[in-house]
Amino acid sequence: MLQIRDLTRSFGGLRAVDGVSFDVGDGQVTGLIGPNGSGKSTLLNLIAGQLHPDTGSIHFGGQDITRSSPDAINRLGLARGYQDPALFFQMSVLDNTLLPAREQLGESPWHAPWHARWRGQEQHNAARADTLLERLQLRDLFDRRASDLSGGQMKLLDIGRSLSGEPSMLLLDEPTAGVAPKLAREIFQHIATLNREAALSFLIVEHRLDILFDFVDQVIVLHMGKVLAAGKPDDIVKDVRVREVYFGL
Amino acid sequence: MPPALLITSLVHSIQVGSLYALMALGITLTMRVIRLPNFAHAEFVTTGAFTALVVSLFLSRSPVVILGLATLSGALVALSSHLLVFRPMSRRKLSTYSMLLVSFAVGLILRYVLFVLSDYYQLFDKRIQIPLQILVRESYLVLTNITFTIVPVSIACVIALALLLGRTALGREMRALASNPELAHILGMRVERIRSLTWLLTGATAGLAGALWGLYTFVNPLLGWLAILPVFAAAILGGLSSFAGTILGAYLVAFCENTLMQALNHYTGLTFSFKAAIPFVIIILVLLLRPQGLTGFVRRSGDLER
Amino acid sequence: MNIDLGATLVALMTFFGIAALMALSLNLEYGIAGVPNFGQAVFVSIGAYTTAITYTRLLPLLAGKEVIWPCGPTLGPALQLRSEIMRSYPGAGFLNLAITLVIAALVSGLVGYFVSRIALRLQQEWFLALVLLVGGETVRIFVRSYEPVICANNGVSGVAQPFAWLGNPQLSSILFMLLVLSVAALTWVYCERLVRSPFGRLLKALRENAAVTRSLGKDVALARARVMLIGSVIAAIAGVFFVLNTGYISSNDFVVTLTLDIWVMVVLGGLGNNRGALLGALVITILDRLTAIATIQMNMSAIDLEFNYVRYILYGIILLLMLRYRPQGILPEPARTTNAHDLLTDPAPHVADS
Ligand SMILES: Nc1ncnc2c1ncn2[C@@H]1O[C@H](COP(=O)(O)OP(=O)(O)O)[C@@H](O)[C@H]1O
Ligand SMILES: [Mg+2]
Repeated sequence: MLQIRDLTRSFGGLRAVDGVSFDVGDGQVTGLIGPNGSGKSTLLNLIAGQLHPDTGSIHFGGQDITRSSPDAINRLGLARGYQDPALFFQMSVLDNTLLPAREQLGESPWHAPWHARWRGQEQHNAARADTLLERLQLRDLFDRRASDLSGGQMKLLDIGRSLSGEPSMLLLDEPTAGVAPKLAREIFQHIATLNREAALSFLIVEHRLDILFDFVDQVIVLHMGKVLAAGKPDDIVKDVRVREVYFGL
Repeated sequence: MPPALLITSLVHSIQVGSLYALMALGITLTMRVIRLPNFAHAEFVTTGAFTALVVSLFLSRSPVVILGLATLSGALVALSSHLLVFRPMSRRKLSTYSMLLVSFAVGLILRYVLFVLSDYYQLFDKRIQIPLQILVRESYLVLTNITFTIVPVSIACVIALALLLGRTALGREMRALASNPELAHILGMRVERIRSLTWLLTGATAGLAGALWGLYTFVNPLLGWLAILPVFAAAILGGLSSFAGTILGAYLVAFCENTLMQALNHYTGLTFSFKAAIPFVIIILVLLLRPQGLTGFVRRSGDLER
Repeated sequence: MNIDLGATLVALMTFFGIAALMALSLNLEYGIAGVPNFGQAVFVSIGAYTTAITYTRLLPLLAGKEVIWPCGPTLGPALQLRSEIMRSYPGAGFLNLAITLVIAALVSGLVGYFVSRIALRLQQEWFLALVLLVGGETVRIFVRSYEPVICANNGVSGVAQPFAWLGNPQLSSILFMLLVLSVAALTWVYCERLVRSPFGRLLKALRENAAVTRSLGKDVALARARVMLIGSVIAAIAGVFFVLNTGYISSNDFVVTLTLDIWVMVVLGGLGNNRGALLGALVITILDRLTAIATIQMNMSAIDLEFNYVRYILYGIILLLMLRYRPQGILPEPARTTNAHDLLTDPAPHVADS
């Protein structure tokens, strides 16, 4: 599904991502871990097209997306969430969820004034948003401003919003940061459900290894921009180098 | 082009360029330290010009007194705008556009208050009273003591400002604040004091520039406003960050407005009414094609949108 | 002092209609979509200059007359011809107005669209504001220096409003007011529908965070260009009515302060709220008239105050007070942003936040 080859990106003299290669298979959940500043967010930005790499390539679903724009990448079915929820805080929960919906005739100003032309679509999208919000337990808050939500709810809405564009793969940046442990596990249960039912692939940056390791098929360990280790969770825990840099053992 | 025209236009370029440099440095300083594109700078300049006019009419004709009081008035107006308007506003965390609008509003109020005052006291289009001496008289070129005041004073001031920023503790603090406000706070710098001093300093240079500009032309309430866009052009040529670039930019803008315009007129017949558009074209081209101006480093295109 | 109340009211409402168009345009661009159009005056002026060109070049043709060069020595005869046609050929007048509106809308819309496309290259957010401001001044200098558009500094006068042929000034100004007000009302309905549609949702998302909107698959550049196109069309229409109302086209009317007037209206009324834009336009129009009347009164009592001075000081103060104490404006933007909320049929009762 996603193939990354020799990806490198520097900021000034600093190589934030340095020759990274790995694959994420169809329907796989991949964990991306590494100490702070090891280049995880930069890697996600590169994949999502918000940064461009110096060298290397990214393929998604067989297409070269190395130099594609973020909107084009999203339309191919590769969506992302944000480390700090980057919601539209002045807009309602429902509008946040509806925005990424694919079929929206009313997004063109030529059709927009004619309600009848897009009402059906909007109803359909709203019904889908309804189900999505229900699942994330945000249904009751649908007409609140996003800024009124609690930190955990914001995280959920951020994920929900990414899902609303019906992606086939989702990049998540620390989806449980600042969330209570119970909710954190719930978020991962949602992810597992989506993975099972909708065959969605995931690439998840996460610090809570105890939870993460219960849910992922493979783990990539980044250290100073390089892939330190990659493999099944059990093997990663045993890897001596990983224990050294990551667990400080 | 006849040498006479060339020489006169070059002399104009140097005079105007020196004044632009003085004003543009203030803009760059506010931009960097306060993070505000300050359009009210225009009216700090005008205030200086009017102070010089009033002082020369009613108080003293000594250039030192005139320029000194003009400098002071600019500094005071800038500081009071900061204390009364800009500081309380910035605490409200308004967007850049709103702050831009605030600076427009401050400028608008000052400008039209000056209109009302100069209407009331009949100060329109008066000249600053300084004894005029003709120092060079050629057939095509007359140089008075005014040229020999404007140019050295502005250049001295520009150098002093550069030294202050580069060599003094205050300058270091200002630069630190410009590059990283959070860090400046953490390091326990007296941020508020530095900000106030920055306003004083930019106001003072604006006031002085206004008085010198007034010496060069007539004094009227639109004086600063009409100069501010060329001055922004100069600051933008300096990438809104580099001092050397800004000074170079100032002379370049003045050169284009005078010598280049003269040449265009001579060779293509372009009328002088297009002169005012030259700095605008510079602004648009630089912002679109080379936003780092004459200096600065190249950003990577296509990166995260801000 | 005698003030003809009826005539004052008609003049006021005509001004209001024109101001409302300008404010709706800026509210759509900046209030809803966050594009800081500090060059509104240019787009208004495109309407004005188009009017100058059609009234001097096209109108005579429509009336079956020969075109007289409108500037220089033939300025007088050309003016006479214009007035003559507007008095006796109502059909030509209306047709000319219709064509003027179409051309002005097309030109202005295209300029807005392409400016927005080019603006993508700009790196800091306020650069667009500066480029638009400076671009406006450049256009003005060009028009002032290049005779064929509006005869340079002379301007074009005798641009009569389309009901002038009625021969009854009162009736024709009432009809013109109704025309302006109905165009403004239609525009308001149109803007209101846009804001509540998925397009409006997209614009509001864009305003808040363009990078994120983009990463959600939206063509941000296209949306921005489209909103600039629509806003520019509305501004140009306002420009046409503006000069028809004054009867005179001069580059001096389309300076930065006109742009600021429009900003004051929108900031005062409420950014992001179309009703706010209308309210702002109304308040500023009334204030404008009142200041004018008050200064005339004062001038008669020997206090010599130029009307514009007072007005601009007042505007500056309004801007500062609003931005300081009520940045959301008199009528803030409603929280329910689009119609979608009515589609979720059984809104569950609000539960307390966890
Ligand atoms: N836009 C940027 N400019 C300069 N340096 C950056 C930028 N983004 C990230 N970095 C640097 O790159 C390194 C990796 O950062 P990041 O990808 O955010 O790490 P992580 O998400 O793993 O904590 C850090 O040293 C960070 O300071
Ligand atoms: Mg990170």
